[in-house]
Amino acid sequence: MAFIEIRGLQKSYRVYQKQEGLLASLTGLFHREYRNVHAVQGIDLEVEKGEFVAFLGPNGAGKTTTLKLLSGVISPSAGEARVMGFVPWERTNEYRRRFALVMGQKNQLWWDLPAAESFRLHQQIYAIAPTDFDRTLGELTDLLDVGKLLNQPVRELSLGERMKMELIAALLHSPEVLFLDEPTIGLDVIAQHNIQKFLKHYQEVRRVTILLTSHYMKDVAALCQRVVVIAEGQIMYDGSLAGVVDRFSTHKVLTLQFAGDQIPSDLDQYGELIEAVAPKVKLRVDRTEIPKVLAALLAGHTIEDVSVEDPPLEEVIADLFVQSSEQAGKKSKEVLAVGHSGR
Amino acid sequence: MYARAQTWWTILRICIEERLVYRGDFALGTLMRFLPIITQIFLWTSVYAAAGQGDIRGYTRDDVIAYYLLTMVGRAFSSMPGLASGIARQIRDGEIKKFLIQPIDLLGFLLLARIAHKLVYYGVAIGPFALVFFLCGNYFTNGWPEASVLAAFVASLVMAFLLGLFLEAAIGMIGFWFLEVSSLLFVYMLFNFFFSGHMFPLEFLTGYLPDWLQTVAHYQPLQFLAYFPAAVFLGKIEGPELVEGLCVQAAWVMVFFVVCRVAMRRGFQRYSGYGG
Amino acid sequence: MHNFLRYPRLFYTFARNSLIRDMTFRANFLIEILSNIGWMAMNLGFYILVFSYTKSIEGWDQYEFFVFIATTMFINSLVQGLFMPNAQELSELVRTGGLDYALLKPIDTQFMLSLRRINWSSLGNFFVAGILLAYALQHLDQTGFHPVQYFLYPFYILCGVLILYSVMFSLAATSIWLGRNQSLYDFWFYITNFSRYPMEIYGGNALGSSLRTIFTFVIPVLIVINVPARMMAMPMKPEYNYLATFAIVATVVSLVASRWIFKRALESYRSASS
Repeated sequence: MAFIEIRGLQKSYRVYQKQEGLLASLTGLFHREYRNVHAVQGIDLEVEKGEFVAFLGPNGAGKTTTLKLLSGVISPSAGEARVMGFVPWERTNEYRRRFALVMGQKNQLWWDLPAAESFRLHQQIYAIAPTDFDRTLGELTDLLDVGKLLNQPVRELSLGERMKMELIAALLHSPEVLFLDEPTIGLDVIAQHNIQKFLKHYQEVRRVTILLTSHYMKDVAALCQRVVVIAEGQIMYDGSLAGVVDRFSTHKVLTLQFAGDQIPSDLDQYGELIEAVAPKVKLRVDRTEIPKVLAALLAGHTIEDVSVEDPPLEEVIADLFVQSSEQAGKKSKEVLAVGHSGR
Repeated sequence: MYARAQTWWTILRICIEERLVYRGDFALGTLMRFLPIITQIFLWTSVYAAAGQGDIRGYTRDDVIAYYLLTMVGRAFSSMPGLASGIARQIRDGEIKKFLIQPIDLLGFLLLARIAHKLVYYGVAIGPFALVFFLCGNYFTNGWPEASVLAAFVASLVMAFLLGLFLEAAIGMIGFWFLEVSSLLFVYMLFNFFFSGHMFPLEFLTGYLPDWLQTVAHYQPLQFLAYFPAAVFLGKIEGPELVEGLCVQAAWVMVFFVVCRVAMRRGFQRYSGYGG
Repeated sequence: MHNFLRYPRLFYTFARNSLIRDMTFRANFLIEILSNIGWMAMNLGFYILVFSYTKSIEGWDQYEFFVFIATTMFINSLVQGLFMPNAQELSELVRTGGLDYALLKPIDTQFMLSLRRINWSSLGNFFVAGILLAYALQHLDQTGFHPVQYFLYPFYILCGVLILYSVMFSLAATSIWLGRNQSLYDFWFYITNFSRYPMEIYGGNALGSSLRTIFTFVIPVLIVINVPARMMAMPMKPEYNYLATFAIVATVVSLVASRWIFKRALESYRSASS
């Protein structure tokens, strides 16, 4: 059995559908309309020990819900999951001692106390032996270079420093599985980079299994060998990051440098003009058309330099998200109908 | 002018809708508000039974219970749950900035939000209120007061609302200068508890006070939040005394309105001066 | 491992952290203690006022009633100091999603959510209550008191605290269902309002006796203060022993019920949220 195994996992929940208008608010006192949201709609996934997997997807795609399901905070509507052999939502203490969840948008440290006090509390909650605790804390503070900040109230720390402290808190009990939900959200580039460097190093040394969601492609590119693209609560892609481009980009970017200062005016017929600063031109061209277009261009014009590139990864992903959210928009009506008949 | 009215109407409507969303709170809150009356009836019945005399400082047992019911009405108008602490919190979080950025007057907004709050709350609560007053009708031994007294009662209630609003808003705005207002608010509630007269008719207390304190007690603002409207309704304050009382109440409303305005202006100046 | 000592140790750390936190806002802490005491003094003032017009209330004379008030203060200060900040924070945790973190911890969730914050300033009233009790006892004729009453008094105070905790925590748990619950505190105040008077005043008519029955047997807040207060204020009488026995049953049942409600609420959170 795989280290983390998910079969047909589903999660739907009801939200109160607020009606527009005063009258509707009044009737809302007595009768409420609910809408079913299908956050996760049948996910199958296997993750081996020591993998570093990224979940990519637009907002509301079900990434965070999946992490919450795997950490047992919420229970699923259908399907099963095993993490290290445990069913997460049974929330056994044994399981809870062996993983950690870090949410970039929420903090669990005591706001008005130095982080050191929160760590000591964690030591007791997780029953960490004093020698282990001192060693781990020493290692982590060295790695993240926050030794001097341990005795400052958390509220006085910068966002980046606070995130480092949150990470330490999560890692004190040496979890074997780590769920990271947007760990670098809101951080500046340097702080992001520091967190990335730390996570990479930590994962290489400890061989922990990490599932990460992030909006920053840089996080993903720096850290994860494997990428799982989720949209509308379903897995759309599972493989290497480079593979995402192969799988989803329909276009390539063609850069041409013409001889002389002239740019031909008939380039539109070959593809979409992205940039035209004489004598250079960037064209977005359909993948399958590349040979044909190149042949035609070379035949018709004097070209000094040419290059064919994949579009930047961020662009591919962004396109993918736009597509899927458009589809989701179309689909939501069906979802609503299903929701009502289902109950 | 029309556009302005439109804006205010929209704000009022949104506030009402916002209040209506949390219906769980709403139902529980309305229901619970009437429970203390019951205890008070039993308590005062016991006290009068043991005291063995029909009248304490001019109040019979029925008077005290009627008084207590009436202070509920007064406090329904004058109490502003969460107002001061809400303002202080908005200052602390920087949420107050929106009143610097958007063309909305903070005091005007607070007034509308509270009117909405009260309208919604007592739009529903008027049912239970009417029921309780109907059931307890016997405690009002003198029946309905005359029209003029009733008018004075209504006027004092409206002013009680304004006084409560401006008083608490003023306390909240202290948050511009001191971040922690909650303790101060607690002290205010403490005084309110005793000197607004919602636990007992203030005559019970003032009888024991030395002369100079009686004078202070006669003019202090908190009495207008609960004691004064109730005493007016029961006919304990009449004639020139009644007129004087209403004037003093109006004066206090003005005082706290001005305090609010000044505090708001100074506070915003200070706020933008420090860059929030 | 030292599983046996784990929870007491955790409690100690919670208490310690809370104290450190309170000490960082020292001025505020002092003001809070003073205003808490002020609040109680006002309450006491009210009854002094009442007793200036009457000799007794339903068989409780002034000093007996002071014992009653001291008992109220003991119990309230414990409940407010230990549980109130946590119950209030619970609805906040639901709103902000902080509840997720509590669910991740490998310790009992109810324990964690009930005791993580301690409001030390509320415990100031505990000492004031002690002084008031000592003062009242000095003026009280204690002939006919059975020695066991002095031992049962702290025991029943503990029972009272646990009953109130159960009611409060059950109310707080409903905020998990409702999503947000502003009126939790109000609700709490209005319910416990009944407990702060001698139960004898609820009598004389059908409403009184039905109130007494409801708040003794359904939501047992009426016995919270009445049972320990009577234990210390008046000689034991056989007709009240059944009530004292019932108080123990009520404590156990309340605790079990609160745990059941909490678990149910948690289930609804876990299956209803995203």
